[in-house]
Amino acid sequence: MQKLFLFVDKVSTKIGHAFSWLILALTLLITWEVFSRYVLDHPHPWAFDVMIMMYGGMFMMAGAYTLSKNGHVRGDVLYGFFPPRLQAGLDLALYLLFFMPGVIALAWAGYGYASESWAIKEISNITSDGPPIYPFKTIIPLAGAMLLIQGCVEILRCIVCLQTGAWPRRADDVEEVDVEKLKDMVNVKDEDIAKLDALVVAQEGAHK
Amino acid sequence: MRKEIYFGLTILIAVVVGVFVLMPPPSEMTNGHLGLLMLGLIVVAIMLGFPTAFTLMGMGMIFAWLAFRSQNPNLAVQQTLDLMVQRAYSVMSNDVLISIPLFVFMGYLVERANLIEKLFKSLHLAMARVPGSLAVATVITCAVFATATGIVGAVVTLMGLLAMPAMLKAGYNTRLAAGAITAGGCLGILIPPSVLLIVYGATAGVSVVKLYAGAFFPGIMLAGLYVGYIVVVAKLNPQLAPPLAEADRHVPLPDYAEKITASFGNNVVRGLVAGVQGKVKTDAPSRTLMSQLAIALLPAIVFTAAMGLSYRMVTAPIEAVTTDAVQMGSGFSSDEAKSASGGLQEPPADDGGLKEPPPEGGLKEPPAAEAVKAPAPATQAAAAKPKASATEATTGERVPAPTAFWITLGLGTVALLAFYAIFNFVRLEIFKMLLGSFFPLAVLIMAVLGTIVFGLATPTEAAAMGSMGGLLLAAAYRRLNIGVVRESVYLTAKTSAMVCWLFVGSSIFSAAFALLGGQEIINKWVLSMDLTPVQFMLLAQAIIFLLGWPLEWTEIIVIFMPIFIPLLPHFNIDPLFFGLLVALNLQTAFLSPPVAMAAFYLKGVSPPHVTLNQIFLGMLPFMAIQVVALTLLYIFPGIGMWLPSVLYK
Repeated sequence: MQKLFLFVDKVSTKIGHAFSWLILALTLLITWEVFSRYVLDHPHPWAFDVMIMMYGGMFMMAGAYTLSKNGHVRGDVLYGFFPPRLQAGLDLALYLLFFMPGVIALAWAGYGYASESWAIKEISNITSDGPPIYPFKTIIPLAGAMLLIQGCVEILRCIVCLQTGAWPRRADDVEEVDVEKLKDMVNVKDEDIAKLDALVVAQEGAHK
Repeated sequence: MRKEIYFGLTILIAVVVGVFVLMPPPSEMTNGHLGLLMLGLIVVAIMLGFPTAFTLMGMGMIFAWLAFRSQNPNLAVQQTLDLMVQRAYSVMSNDVLISIPLFVFMGYLVERANLIEKLFKSLHLAMARVPGSLAVATVITCAVFATATGIVGAVVTLMGLLAMPAMLKAGYNTRLAAGAITAGGCLGILIPPSVLLIVYGATAGVSVVKLYAGAFFPGIMLAGLYVGYIVVVAKLNPQLAPPLAEADRHVPLPDYAEKITASFGNNVVRGLVAGVQGKVKTDAPSRTLMSQLAIALLPAIVFTAAMGLSYRMVTAPIEAVTTDAVQMGSGFSSDEAKSASGGLQEPPADDGGLKEPPPEGGLKEPPAAEAVKAPAPATQAAAAKPKASATEATTGERVPAPTAFWITLGLGTVALLAFYAIFNFVRLEIFKMLLGSFFPLAVLIMAVLGTIVFGLATPTEAAAMGSMGGLLLAAAYRRLNIGVVRESVYLTAKTSAMVCWLFVGSSIFSAAFALLGGQEIINKWVLSMDLTPVQFMLLAQAIIFLLGWPLEWTEIIVIFMPIFIPLLPHFNIDPLFFGLLVALNLQTAFLSPPVAMAAFYLKGVSPPHVTLNQIFLGMLPFMAIQVVALTLLYIFPGIGMWLPSVLYK
């Protein structure tokens, strides 16, 4: 079971990582476009469409990746206090009630939306003779399908947690606030912090 | 533990039961009531801790289907599907939200450039004489760093690692230290370029540019109030924040500086000139002395360049000169690319306006913009855009410079002279440290903001330039490698996916809400209460403040702003102004116990005997200051609205 979880996580992560690089490409593209427009006086009419596609593609395809890392924002005021079994039970119920219908509908609707666009080989209408937009629209069903697969794994995770009373482990990934890394970055060691404790205690003593 | 869970769950159940009790019986239930039901349920569902984006999506879908079914049961499914996909696509192709990943990317890169240590050190040396200097330096470091990165958690953690030990060692009160770090770390939420304002702009349909221009001064004001509070406290009760020991303030001087000081006096310019001419034996190569002299003269050079440039600007014979800002816009539009990235390559050049002790040259007058763009003049002239040269060629006569220009020039010159009179070698060392830490960040922020606010670039373009600047900054500090870029890229993807999927969910949700007509019921209800604008404003802010406890700011903005915004015209409230108040208000939420994230981040890196309670107590005065700031902004809307009104008439 755990192997299956980690495998699906890995696939989502790999795809998410691959699409993440679009942000670097986006930065470079816009920088180049700005340079080209203002300095070389040579704007590209397709630039705007491509920017939008890069941005949209990146975040849509990173949706499943973020889910696999438990990165979607939660209202965790109460959730954080719940024991794992209660967390898993609530999650399971809400995955079935909200997530599954919502994502299935999105993927299904996206499929119809994209196939219509493919049928007419739709091009962007922001500029005349815009770039083709049907591959971009295909991202909706793709992202939906990936979320769906990842969602199934999350549901199984809830069930495992309900049985065992502990959340199955997830693979590590970069963290926004990685305390150990930050400590490394500014060369602070745990001993230093421990030493400070004496100061705090002394201060408290002085106040009493 | 158990007790809290039952308490929480009981409240949730009570809310659900309450909502159902208040509903009319099913037979009389209209769609509008369904809308209200949906709103009540979403709050409960969010509190249950399921990923909010999907809660919104699922619930929005169900209620949209109900709404469509009541009109035409046969088409309901298809219509719901269409609605969902169209909403999703509109988020994917949203040209406002596109700047979110770019700003987030810039933030991660800047964070990893690891400037914060130098920044803190140089600032606290520069402030050594101010009462409570370490705490003041902490707030300013936080403000600058948090503004550039926008990541509350990382800033608070880093400052907890750097400033907390420094302050405790210096004998600072734990509470004051904790308060300064947590309050400062949250400033990035408000001071542009912040993601919160983009999210608000996208939700409320307010121009992000105006929001940025508007939030600038309230942000500075809040930081100023924090600093003022610390200085006053430190002055009144030096025990809480004792002055730094001599040893901590000591700045080691290089050899030649010691020699010059010993034989020729303390003034940098005179000393260095003498050294270069060989009047003092220094044993240092004259190259070193020359470069030191060049650095020492930077403020003067920048000031001269800025004033010269603004003289050209204000006297330029362009027809229909309306405001300086507009003029600047036309003059500079050619060079926004360079002023963003070029500004970085030569961080020193730009900061005359900021560094001069009395800041009038830098902040109040229009030339501030030139001060920021100062590095560009040469390149700009070379680029010789048709517009500028054409106008010069056609009309030869120059408009006489306005009085404001001469006043600025006079004040600036006096300030500069005063600055050089007290400019000794210790200050030169500190100045050099600031050049390496504070100014690059300040330039990056100012370049990004300046280009946006003066209309030279769209937020998207400026954000991309900012990311590019972040890359260059990381490269300049030799922190740029594939690992750093990879981490930043992955984190950016996760954060943007989080925010943008939330948008997908919430736009489906609010579409359903609108379809059900829930908005109309709320409108009617609020209007029937017959509130004055002030009462409405207080009510709205109180609700947002309360929501800030259990919910994250992203959720509050994307779910509840669409409900408040349509009410604003009834009360003659500018959505822009409302946005500024909301941004300031939501900052308070970051500091309100017991859910304040900042406190937990700080607790994570504090010595074990610093308790959460101490941190919370330390945050309280700063929270009070935020309420004061909110009141000030409300009473004097000009603080926020002046800049946008000047720039975008």
